[in-house]
Amino acid sequence: MKNNLIVSGSPHIHKEESISRIMWTVAASLVPAGIAGVIIFGLDALWVTLVAVIAAVLTELVFEIWGKKKITALDGSAVITGIILAFNLPPNVPLWLPIVGAVFSIAIGKQVFGGIGQNIFNPALVGRVFLMASWPKYMTTFAKPFSCDAVTGATPLALLKEGKLLEHISYLDLFLGKRGGCIGEVCILALLVGAAILLIRGYITWHIPATYIFTTAAFTYIFGAPQLFGGDWLFHILSGGLILGAFFMATDYVATPLTARGQLIFGVGCGLLTAIIRLWGGYPEGASYAILMMNAATPFIDRYTKNRIYGTR
Amino acid sequence: MNLQEFLTIFISAVFIYNVILSRFLGLCSFIAISKETRPALAMSSAVMFVIVMSSAITWFVYRFLLIPFNLTYLRTISFILVIAAFVQFVEMVIRKVSPQLYRAFGIYLPLITVNCAVLGVAVLNIDMFFMNGKAVAGSFYYSVFQGVCVGLGYTLAMLLMSGIRERLELCNIPRSLKDFPLAFIIASILSLSFMGFSGFKF
Amino acid sequence: MKNFIKEFTKGIIRENPTFVLVLGLCPTLAVSVSVVNGIGMGIAATFVLLGSSLIVSLVRDFIPDKIRIPCYIVIIATFVTIAELCMKAYSPVLDRALGIYVPLIVVNCIVLGRAEAFACKNNFRSSFCDGLGMGVGFTLALILISAIREFLGSGRILGHTLIKGFEPVFVFGMPSGALLVIGLLLGFFNLLKNRKT
Repeated sequence: MKNNLIVSGSPHIHKEESISRIMWTVAASLVPAGIAGVIIFGLDALWVTLVAVIAAVLTELVFEIWGKKKITALDGSAVITGIILAFNLPPNVPLWLPIVGAVFSIAIGKQVFGGIGQNIFNPALVGRVFLMASWPKYMTTFAKPFSCDAVTGATPLALLKEGKLLEHISYLDLFLGKRGGCIGEVCILALLVGAAILLIRGYITWHIPATYIFTTAAFTYIFGAPQLFGGDWLFHILSGGLILGAFFMATDYVATPLTARGQLIFGVGCGLLTAIIRLWGGYPEGASYAILMMNAATPFIDRYTKNRIYGTR
Repeated sequence: MNLQEFLTIFISAVFIYNVILSRFLGLCSFIAISKETRPALAMSSAVMFVIVMSSAITWFVYRFLLIPFNLTYLRTISFILVIAAFVQFVEMVIRKVSPQLYRAFGIYLPLITVNCAVLGVAVLNIDMFFMNGKAVAGSFYYSVFQGVCVGLGYTLAMLLMSGIRERLELCNIPRSLKDFPLAFIIASILSLSFMGFSGFKF
Repeated sequence: MKNFIKEFTKGIIRENPTFVLVLGLCPTLAVSVSVVNGIGMGIAATFVLLGSSLIVSLVRDFIPDKIRIPCYIVIIATFVTIAELCMKAYSPVLDRALGIYVPLIVVNCIVLGRAEAFACKNNFRSSFCDGLGMGVGFTLALILISAIREFLGSGRILGHTLIKGFEPVFVFGMPSGALLVIGLLLGFFNLLKNRKT
C-alpha cells in the first residue's frame, strides 16, 4: 500500500520506460552477436552463454533473498551481465568456468555494492578479469572458427603480439567474424546491428563508443608500427573486443560518467588505455582492463564535469 | 642510464607494482584516509614529498656512510631514524613558515614516519640499485625517480579510491561490509584491473 | 595471574590486531602467499613485539615524553635488525621469500601501537603478556589468511595436495586475491558480530 504514495522531485513526467524494459532491450540487442557466435563456433558457444546467464540470475536471486531486498533478479540486468561475461569467454571453456565467473561477477562486482544501480565497476568485466587472472590457461585457448573439434587457434591480436604476419586474414573476414576469439566479440556485423538498435532507441549515446573507437584507431595508427603514422588502424578496430567493449561494456549506465563531457573523457581514456595495453602490454587485448580502470575513475570524472547549476558557482 | 629504463620504472612503480595495490605498503593510511578526496589529496602530496626526499637522503646515507664503514647491517635502524628526523624537521619548518600549509597536511606528517611506503621505497631502492655493495651506474637518479613514481602510484590509488568511496556514501551497502571490508574489495578489483599492464614492454 | 592470562588472551580474539584493530596489514597481505611464509613472518613479528614491549615497559620512566616515539622506534628497529640477521643466517630461503617485509616490521603499526598504547603505561609482566598475546593473535590471523590463500591459489596446504583435480585459482596467489580474502574475512567477522547483537 505504502508503495502507491510516491513523493519525488519535479519534473513529474511519466514515461513508458522502466528499468526492466531498457534492460531487456539491451539483452535483445546482444542476441544477433550471440547467434553469430553460435554459427561460427558451434553449440558450445550457446551452452556457455546459457550457463553464464542462469548462474548470474540465480546468484542475484540468492543475494536478494538473503539480504531481504526487493527481488529484481529477473529485471534483465543480471541477464545482461551473464551474456556479456559469456561473450568475453572463449567458446570451448569447461562449463564450470562461466558459472564461477558469473557468480563472482554478481557477488563481488554488484551485490557487495548494494545491487542494481550502485555498482562502481561493470560486473561482467570484474568477473572476466577474475577468470583471466585465475585460469589463464582456459581463457587464452581459442577454438578455430567453423571447426567442431577443439582445434586451437590464436586470436589475430595474439598473433600480432607474437610478431606473426597476418596476411591470410582479410578485413572482410574480421568484419564477419571468421577468426579465433571470444564468443561475442568476433562478428562485428552482428554487434553493429545490436548497437544500432540501442542508438536508435536512444538507450546509449554516441559519445563513449565514438570517442573510444576513434582514440584507439588514432593511437594505433600513430604508434602501431615501427615508424610513426603507419599502424594498421582498421585491423585494430576490427579485431579483439573493441567493438563489443565500446558499444556494450563501456556504456554500462551505472559505471560511466553522467554528463556528455564526462563521457567524452571516459571514451578517450578507454581508447588510450586499450591501445597502450595492445601495443606494449603483456596481454594481447586490453579492452576489459581499460574499461575497468576508467570505471574506477568515473566518480572522479563525474565530480569535475558536473553541470553547473544556473546561478551557482 | 636511458629513457627506456626510466619508462620501465615508471610503469612498474605506478601500475604493475603499485605501492598500495600490489606491494601493500602504506595500506593502513590508504584505508583510513581515503574516505574523502580532499584529505586523501593532502595525504598523498605529503607522502609523495617525504618519499622523494627520503629516497635521496637514504641513498646518500647508504652510499657514503654505511658502505664505506661496512655498516650495512644497520640499514633498517639508520633509515628509520633518518626518515623520522627528516619528517620531524619538515613538520617544524612548515609550522614556522606556513601555518596554512601546516593546517592542510601537518596532521598527516607524524603519521608518515610510520608509513611503510617511505621505508619500503628506501629499502627497495637499495635492493634494486645496489649490486654487491656497489651502486649501479645512475643509481641515484633511479632511486629518486622511483621515489617520484611510487608517490605518483600512491596518489593515483588514493584519488581513485577516495572518489569511489565518496560515491559509496549514497549506496545501500550490506551492513557487514560497510567501510573496511568493502574498501578492501574495491582495492582488490582495482588491483585486478591494474594487472592489465603486467608484462609491459616498451 | 588471572590478570596476565586476560592480557594474553585479549590479543587473540577480542582485540585481534588483524581482524579487530585492522593494523599491520602490509606484511599480513604481502607474505601470506603460503602458510610457511605466514608462520615465519608471525614468529618474527612476535619476537619483535615481545622484545620491544619488554624493553619499553622497563625504560618507560626514563624516556622523556616528547621524544618517546623516536625512542620506541630505535628499540623496535634494534629487535627487527636482530630478527633480520638471524633469519638471514639460519633460514635464507625464508628471508628471500619475505624480502623487504622483514625490515618493514619496524613500521608495523601493531608493534609501535602496543608500545604507545600499552607498554608505556604498564609494568613489564603485563606488557610481556600483552606482547605475547598480540603476537600470537597476529600469527594466528596470518596462518588463517595464508592457509586460505595457499589452498585456493595453489591447491595445496604446506605443500600437500588436498583435493585431487582441484584447479587452483591463481588469483589468490596474487595481490588482488590477498585484498579480496581480507575484505571478505573482515565482512564475515562483522556478520558474526552483527548476528550476535
